[in-house]
Amino acid sequence: MKKLLCLVLALMLALAAIGAVAEVTDLPRNETLYFAGQQWGSVNSWNIIGTNQNNSMAIAGGASGYRTLMFETLYMYNFMNGDIIGLLANDDYAWNDDMTALTFTIKDAAKWSDGTPVTGADVVRTFDIGVEIGNGTGTGFKGYIDSIVADGNTVTINAKLNDEGQPVNPLKVLDFLTGTPIAQAAWIDTVVERCGGDAVTILNDPGEDVVWSGPYTKLYADDQKVVLVRDDNYWGQDESMWGKLPVPKYIAHAIYADNPAGENALKAGEVDVCQQFIGNVQNLWLEDGLPISTYYEEAPYGVCLTMPTAWYNFNLPVLAENPALRKAIAIAVDYDTIIANAMTNQSPSFADVPRSLMNPTEGEQALYNHDEVADLQWAGNDIDGANALLDEAGLLDTDGDGYREYNGEKISLNAVCPNGWTDWQASMEVVAAAGKNIGVEITTLYPEWDIYQTVFTNPNQTEYAIYMWSPEAASPSNPWTRVNQFMGSEFVGVENNWSGNWGQYVNEEADALLKKIPVTTDEEELKSLYTELTKIYLTEVPSFSLMYRPSLFHAVNESVWTNFPTGDDGRNIPPADCTDGYGIAALYDLELVEG
Amino acid sequence: MKGYRKYFGKKIVWFLITLVVAVILNFILPRLMPADPVSAITGKMAQGMTDASAVQEIYKRYEEEFGTNKPLIEQFLIFVKNLFRGDLGTSFSQYPRKVSNIISSAIGWTVALQLPAIIVGWLIGNLLGALAAYIRKGFDKVLLPISLFLSNVPAFGMAVVLLVLFAVNWKIAPISGGYAFDMIPNFSWRFIQSVISHYQLPFWSIVLVSIGGQAVGMRSMSIYELNADYVKYARFLGVKDRKIVGYVFRNAMLPQVTGLAMSIGTMIGGALVAEIIFSYPGLGSTMYSAVTAADYPLISATTLIITFMVLVVSFLLDIIYGFIDPRVKAAQFDS
Repeated sequence: MKKLLCLVLALMLALAAIGAVAEVTDLPRNETLYFAGQQWGSVNSWNIIGTNQNNSMAIAGGASGYRTLMFETLYMYNFMNGDIIGLLANDDYAWNDDMTALTFTIKDAAKWSDGTPVTGADVVRTFDIGVEIGNGTGTGFKGYIDSIVADGNTVTINAKLNDEGQPVNPLKVLDFLTGTPIAQAAWIDTVVERCGGDAVTILNDPGEDVVWSGPYTKLYADDQKVVLVRDDNYWGQDESMWGKLPVPKYIAHAIYADNPAGENALKAGEVDVCQQFIGNVQNLWLEDGLPISTYYEEAPYGVCLTMPTAWYNFNLPVLAENPALRKAIAIAVDYDTIIANAMTNQSPSFADVPRSLMNPTEGEQALYNHDEVADLQWAGNDIDGANALLDEAGLLDTDGDGYREYNGEKISLNAVCPNGWTDWQASMEVVAAAGKNIGVEITTLYPEWDIYQTVFTNPNQTEYAIYMWSPEAASPSNPWTRVNQFMGSEFVGVENNWSGNWGQYVNEEADALLKKIPVTTDEEELKSLYTELTKIYLTEVPSFSLMYRPSLFHAVNESVWTNFPTGDDGRNIPPADCTDGYGIAALYDLELVEG
Repeated sequence: MKGYRKYFGKKIVWFLITLVVAVILNFILPRLMPADPVSAITGKMAQGMTDASAVQEIYKRYEEEFGTNKPLIEQFLIFVKNLFRGDLGTSFSQYPRKVSNIISSAIGWTVALQLPAIIVGWLIGNLLGALAAYIRKGFDKVLLPISLFLSNVPAFGMAVVLLVLFAVNWKIAPISGGYAFDMIPNFSWRFIQSVISHYQLPFWSIVLVSIGGQAVGMRSMSIYELNADYVKYARFLGVKDRKIVGYVFRNAMLPQVTGLAMSIGTMIGGALVAEIIFSYPGLGSTMYSAVTAADYPLISATTLIITFMVLVVSFLLDIIYGFIDPRVKAAQFDS
């Protein structure tokens, strides 16, 4: 009898233990939205003021649209039309006359997960701790923001001023609004205290006890998946915000080893939203008959925001001293082949959207005078034009070996991108083929990523001649930020240069124009400045874009969930995977296929 | 007994020398790559950041934190000192996770996948090889080409074929992961079933490839032994067939045992393909991502585990051979 009692007791204990561990054991398919292509590798931390969290579902993104599932920004950015829409803050942000201070108010309804209100003090503390410990927010914005002060719910951002008393860059201050997740001041104090105020310890704190304001919070994370669960007390169900909760109860992201694994899962219906490049994506519905769709039904299927670009190395005299050579290579490249092969037509052609410094969105295209630069633009594959340019510049093949010479030496360049980046590798092959047609030897080189990134960020490197990298996509400070990356000399000579101008090009005229734009508000003047910069860029050709490309891919499988945003549904929700910037609005409209 | 002591002493000295050399190589080789992992971390941190001096600041801080700005010899001494304390350092690519934490969460999956797969592949392969050698005729004619074919299929080829056939086309096996995409680990029968079903394809992709190689090896060894003089002599003496077969397989097994031990020693590297193709968690894919990210501490740690396992296994083999193989025993006593 005693033995039986012990056995029953042990069984009960075991069952209790299972119950405790398995509070949520299944993620019901009709309550869970599954993702692929965002989270690679396991989550490092939940510390919103830390670094390297590798926590793509909760802590990710930048100015172009922060991922606001768990932590929220003051405003959401909509890259479809450039709108800045209130999230934690009201739609009342305003500059003073000389653009030295920006003021806005926090929404009364905004609350933290512990029920306390979000206040101006939280915004102040988020910025101050960032500067103190040197996290991304602090180091990224202290060059543009002098201080943030708050009076209750009213917040004022004081811009950093340059020597002439002008704000360094008001556009970057706007990036702070849409790109910085706000942390709770009280929680920051807790972390600072437990870390003894040591910056590195604070940055590396796992933040398991973090307080959030967004509609989801962490449920589970291991080496194979990360799961967020809806916070049904989310403040955003207030009428002043969304007026309801987002539809999916769970957000789950399995950690796939590579793109093919994620793509297979999408095809199998195990993934609803896929942020991966899928070659010939249209075949998934046209040939395979799968319930998969993209933002647009026809090519280019998505919204292209960035332009993967080939940068010329100005440390090499042959490239630095020969604008004709730079332009000749650029106009000889067959971009239609790149777009058809590398991007499988998921990019508009340069005949559809003529090249400039702008991405293809309507807002940016309206920022320069198309007629004034029309003569300078090229759509590519102009072999005769390129040969004529080189002949005219005196870059001739004098020894009859089929290759032109400069200063008596054969012009021999390499075209480089990381190994395994197949669409970029295909592009570099097309660049090399263009070289052959114009008597310039261009060989391709595909080093491993870790080596590539070390070399191309070195401002003194002479190993790579033509190499690929993408400039910024979209944000309130774009296209200025991108144009600055194309031509701004502030990046020249900077060690470990991840910031811009990877070819080390210097043009004082461009610098002067770039300096004016952030403090220019007159639309006509702005257009004239961007047009001048476009002229310089297309004449000097310090680099050349090879294609347009979305910054986020957005393919959805509608076997379980439907009513995802599309380009023609009139909702103007961007294809930002239902998670980034104003793209999160999609989560509130989702519907189940089977009622 | 003196002969044994000398034999073991010599083996231990060589074991220690190899270990020291291996540790030095484990440290130096990854660092000879012309890559700067601190730059990669900075790049991740600096996304969307266009203030060049801010990016510089981040780079300097990480350089300081990882100690990559110190001379290599100083870095090595710190590495060895930490190694004695069981501290394998902090990962670059998964910073701020500790290497020991990454390894401990992955190693269980790799051992659980590889160990049974290696043993099952070895057992089935050797059994089939021995039977082919003994039975010959039709069995051998069918088995030999199949084994040759299997042993020559590259591991990734086999994994992809299984994935496409069973998971993508016929949908009778899961596509990826260590457990169902719609589950959270828990102690339930459904979860255990899910783990077992996700185990099948990676497991068989390893077993099938190893069966071929083992069978071919065992068949050749057995045929060689069956034709050896001592077998003929035993038959001449009228020793029973069963007894002879016992002798034959005992001798044929010796190189196969070495093969098994080495497979176990290198199982982490061997897990790489199956883990990547099936998005299966484990140390193989961890090592692969560490190499592509020039994550020195993680590369050093994983290769150190492999080195250590190979060394221990070969040391144990040497010791065991000293006892079980009369030829080794005789050689030691003679010398």
